[in-house]
Amino acid sequence: MAEPVLQENEKVTIGYNPVVVRRLLRYLKPYRIMVVCALVALSLSTASELLLPIVLQRAVDRHLVAVWRRAPVDRVAEHAPLRDAVERSGTVIGPWAYVLEVDLKEIPAGVQRALREQDLLSEEQYWVTPVDHPETAAAIDANREQVERSQTHAAIPAEIARSLSAPTRLALRAHDLRGITRLAAVFLSLLVTVLFTAFVQVYLMASVGQGVMKDMRLQLFDHTLHQSLSFLNGHPVGKLVTRLTNDVETINELFTNVVVNLLKNFAIMAGVIVTMFLLSPRMAVVTIATLPPVLFFTLVFRKKARDAFREVRRWVSRVNAFIAEHVSGMPVVQMFVREVQVGREFARNNDRLMHASLSEMYVFAVFRPIVDLLSSVSLAIIVFMGARFLSIGVVSLGILIAFIDLAKRFYQQLMDISDRFVILQSAMAGSERVFELLDAVDQIDDRGRLTLPQPVRGRVEFEHVSFAYRSGEPVLRDLSFTVEPGQSVAIVGYTGAGKTTIANLVTRLWDADGGTIRLDGANVRDIPVAQLRATVQPIAQDVFLFSETVAENIRLGADISDERVQEAARAVQADGFIRALPNGYDTVLQEGATNISTGQRQLIAFARVLAHDPRVIILDEATANIDTETERLIQAGISTLLAGRTSLVIAHRLSTIKHADRILVLSGGELVEQGSHEELLAARGLYANLYRLQYEP
Amino acid sequence: MADSFREYRTLVPYAYRYRWHYLLGVLCLIVTSGGQLVIPQFVRRAIDIMVEGGFAVAEVGRLMLALAGLAVVIGLGRFGWRYFIHGASRRIEAELRGRLFEHLLLLSPRYYAGAKTGDIMARATNDMNAIRMATGIALVAFIDGVFMTLAILVILFSSNARLAAVTIIPLPFITVMIIFAGRVVTRLFREVQEGFSHLSERTQESIAGIRVIKSFVKEPHFLKRFEEVNLEYRRKNLNYIRVWGLFFPFVAFLSGLTTLLLLRFGGEQVIAGSISPGDFVATMSYLAMLAWPMLGAGFTVNVLARGAASLARINAILKEPPEIVSMIGAHQKASSIDLSIRDLTVVHPDAGEPALDGVSIDLPQGTMLGILGRTGSGKSTLIRTLPRLIDPPENTVFVGGVDVRDYDLGVLRGLFGIVPQDTFLFSATIRENIGFAVDELSDEELTRVADISTISRDIGVLSEGYQTVVGERGVTLSGGQKQRVAISRALAKNPDILILDDALSAVDTESEERILKAILEFRKGKSTILISHRISALQHADLCIVMDQGHIAQRGNHAELLAQGGLYREIYDLQQIERKHARGHDG
Repeated sequence: MAEPVLQENEKVTIGYNPVVVRRLLRYLKPYRIMVVCALVALSLSTASELLLPIVLQRAVDRHLVAVWRRAPVDRVAEHAPLRDAVERSGTVIGPWAYVLEVDLKEIPAGVQRALREQDLLSEEQYWVTPVDHPETAAAIDANREQVERSQTHAAIPAEIARSLSAPTRLALRAHDLRGITRLAAVFLSLLVTVLFTAFVQVYLMASVGQGVMKDMRLQLFDHTLHQSLSFLNGHPVGKLVTRLTNDVETINELFTNVVVNLLKNFAIMAGVIVTMFLLSPRMAVVTIATLPPVLFFTLVFRKKARDAFREVRRWVSRVNAFIAEHVSGMPVVQMFVREVQVGREFARNNDRLMHASLSEMYVFAVFRPIVDLLSSVSLAIIVFMGARFLSIGVVSLGILIAFIDLAKRFYQQLMDISDRFVILQSAMAGSERVFELLDAVDQIDDRGRLTLPQPVRGRVEFEHVSFAYRSGEPVLRDLSFTVEPGQSVAIVGYTGAGKTTIANLVTRLWDADGGTIRLDGANVRDIPVAQLRATVQPIAQDVFLFSETVAENIRLGADISDERVQEAARAVQADGFIRALPNGYDTVLQEGATNISTGQRQLIAFARVLAHDPRVIILDEATANIDTETERLIQAGISTLLAGRTSLVIAHRLSTIKHADRILVLSGGELVEQGSHEELLAARGLYANLYRLQYEP
Repeated sequence: MADSFREYRTLVPYAYRYRWHYLLGVLCLIVTSGGQLVIPQFVRRAIDIMVEGGFAVAEVGRLMLALAGLAVVIGLGRFGWRYFIHGASRRIEAELRGRLFEHLLLLSPRYYAGAKTGDIMARATNDMNAIRMATGIALVAFIDGVFMTLAILVILFSSNARLAAVTIIPLPFITVMIIFAGRVVTRLFREVQEGFSHLSERTQESIAGIRVIKSFVKEPHFLKRFEEVNLEYRRKNLNYIRVWGLFFPFVAFLSGLTTLLLLRFGGEQVIAGSISPGDFVATMSYLAMLAWPMLGAGFTVNVLARGAASLARINAILKEPPEIVSMIGAHQKASSIDLSIRDLTVVHPDAGEPALDGVSIDLPQGTMLGILGRTGSGKSTLIRTLPRLIDPPENTVFVGGVDVRDYDLGVLRGLFGIVPQDTFLFSATIRENIGFAVDELSDEELTRVADISTISRDIGVLSEGYQTVVGERGVTLSGGQKQRVAISRALAKNPDILILDDALSAVDTESEERILKAILEFRKGKSTILISHRISALQHADLCIVMDQGHIAQRGNHAELLAQGGLYREIYDLQQIERKHARGHDG
């Protein structure tokens, strides 16, 4: 049956964890240039985005609804702010200085009214245009009597102008239309800038995120590869794979989605506020005054959403675990006719999940409309207050329009931010799990620096070795034996007698608890692990092949020529069937190597070891039933493999045992008999029993 | 595409059940969207009032009060559609998942032999999510997108057709982009997903093969290999981002272009006096509203297509017929539990040799059958046909004189208690595991069956006694402990026929004998079938058979079989020696 999917209880953390964040930031170091570029692009795009409404406002105020008032030139000096306004943007035509209404906004409404009463400022509004275009000139000529004009400019009362025909109005305002076109061009260039910088920013951050992910995965993978087997035994493969794949993926979300967008959200919010104050401090104060309720609800929501999210995760993993477990255990369920009860229990869990999911939905269903409602209310307040300010002349229509736009943007950011909380949380939880794995260091001590004298002779010695995978359950007890160089020793015994453990101890996949194991007289702990494992190679019972080509499975990335690969395969009789595969040595094996038989997998494993030419081989013979032809090949392969090497064979086949120089009989982790096949049979002990039960054909 | 949408018919009964949810939800949705469309009108009126000059602020105030009132209605509508539509989609998800699981409970062991747990899990989780998205948010986005787009276009064109025609020029590009770039994006996204599963496979394989990697000191090589898939995955992601990253900025750009066109051409009309500044602002708001629904409607198609694909995978399981079922008018009660097997031959599909070949056995109520045989001789197949875990041919297996196929499946299986070879315990407390097969397990019964299997002795060392959680999310029991819990589980049911399939292999011979004696004592008057490799266990059987390649090679009681010689005798002799040895060893 397939391995059950591990749906562990997902840990959902409290959210922001500064230690985790600091560690995550460290991964950005190699990409700092990219990050800086992305930030520059981000600021550019944010700035451009914020400039868009300003350009719009200018176009509306200065051109679209451009109305002017006039002041007598000779009296302008009487009032300093008015003089400033005239000097800044006034146009003098005859005795009058014309000023755009929007430029008068610095002067408080009451003062403006006073100015009008003193005739310092006209009650009437005017259209003012430079006479720089034949069309304009013609239109002015046509309405000569209503127009006040100089060499370069002309002014016409707005009321009269509005009553003119559309073409005339357009002719009179040709200058404004050109202004609009000009600002439209600016607008377009800003749009292009936003398009470009936004893309650059997204792409750069994605590259950074991908890079960080890659680095993190490599680090995790390297770390995991070097963990001891006892660590790996305690951590199911599925769990480790999840750490390396899904958990790291959520961290990527953090970099590509959350961090950058949060930055952007905050940048835009800050930008909006600054822009508001630049445009009109009064309106800015009004707008900001509408915010506290939204902020309050956002904070409440954040907590509620987190609790709801946690509850949903909890039940999701509960339900998933339930399904996974009962799919694996379906035979038991059906055997005991518990379908109804199990179905009922599932329904209970599923129901809890549904309720958690609905509760989460309610949180969002309430929050979203509230924020929207508040955003509309704040729009109403802005328009209302704007109207009041407009009526007393302290803000312009363009500014009001800009504020409507800015407020909308501000609320948009708030919504975005609340959306990202959830992602932030799962990313934090993912990071914590990843770091937890990275922090768990459990490696075989590899400080031995002793170099074995070359060539290695291959003498293996066990001296009072004892070992237990779990304390209190000894697998090997006080085991002592010696295998002389070139000798072949068979180990036999019932299942659970500790035979396989011997291979694990010699190659230091595990370290013995007591006693000493020596290779050519040197304690294996003093030999560098890499050298030890290159010298002593095990062949496991269940051969593990990678989904790679046959040649690559033999080579395992070592620098071994094609000739030597084939030579090794020929030597163990694997060449024939390999060549018969669709692509010969380049045939890619499927996952679990299901496209070749068990026996053939054995042969490939033999070729693999032969190609690596170790001095000592520990062969854990396969018990599986194999067809007679392959069986014959395997027997031949084994004798080639073992020739001239020291070998320890955990034997399951009589022929292998018979060929051994010596047989060790293990029982309960102890050596109970040893000798040759004939000697042991004659002794009528455990071996004789085993022989009759398990080996005799 | 249309074909795949047919998968949605599975959902028809659900959609019908929640029709009021959906109806009210859509109603609320329309109120919400309609209300949103009216808001710019208020702003427009307000601005026009302001532009005219000399206005009463109170008038704007009244307008804005009305706007706030409308906002409340919109808020209620928003809550409403979420409540109804999301509520319905989440309920449907739960119900469909429930139905899927109910169906899984009915499927036969043969189905599970061919199915991967991981795959079934993916369907129960990822695919369910996709269906929820399709029945909830996608539906909303679709209705909303279509409604909003149409309504806004109507408003725009009715107020100023020329301006509308000019300003919406960039928007069709959004649709074009979704259609064309969408295809590319879908393809690139699929590549990313493939890259991810490749990465997962590589990780899985490397960790599973870690012994080989370590034994051959290949850590650097596999790190390099792993780096390669990582680089590949990164490349695919960046390819995807290169297109996808342009998507939203481009939509924003197109949306900005409409504002630009409005500025230039609408501005001209404001100056010419053909539209008011208020119209200008209102049009701007409408145009801003138009871009995203168009985008949303486009994406919806993808979500719905993904939902259809997921439904297809769910439907595939739902359509899988339960292979072994009760027939109509099945027997609800067994008159006796005399078991007889007549000339039973079973051939596994895709296998040439029959697993069982002409097996006949009689097991009267209250007797014990022992089975001895090498691996692959057909022992497990034989016992699995009795409770129809494997369906026997008609008229081959009888209980109380009635073909097992004529019983109600629940009644038939209810007669048996099986302790299988490979023990499966649930991630639950030991007590729950032992009580799995019964509705209620009293403390006395628990202690009794735990004593028989001797698991009670191990309970003392566990921190929480019988409440200790075992398995995936709890403590790991040793093989022997697991087997003994499984025995207690079967005994707690006190079935009419108990089957022990090599159920004590991880327990030493002497303990096995002790446990067996206790079991037989407990089972007095009921039938027991015992598969074992140990003669010491089999010698208590009233009838013992020796299986060989699907045949019964020898049959008889202990004494008869010893007298016959053959495998039974040979193994007996050897095990005698072993026992002597073991005794000598202990002493």
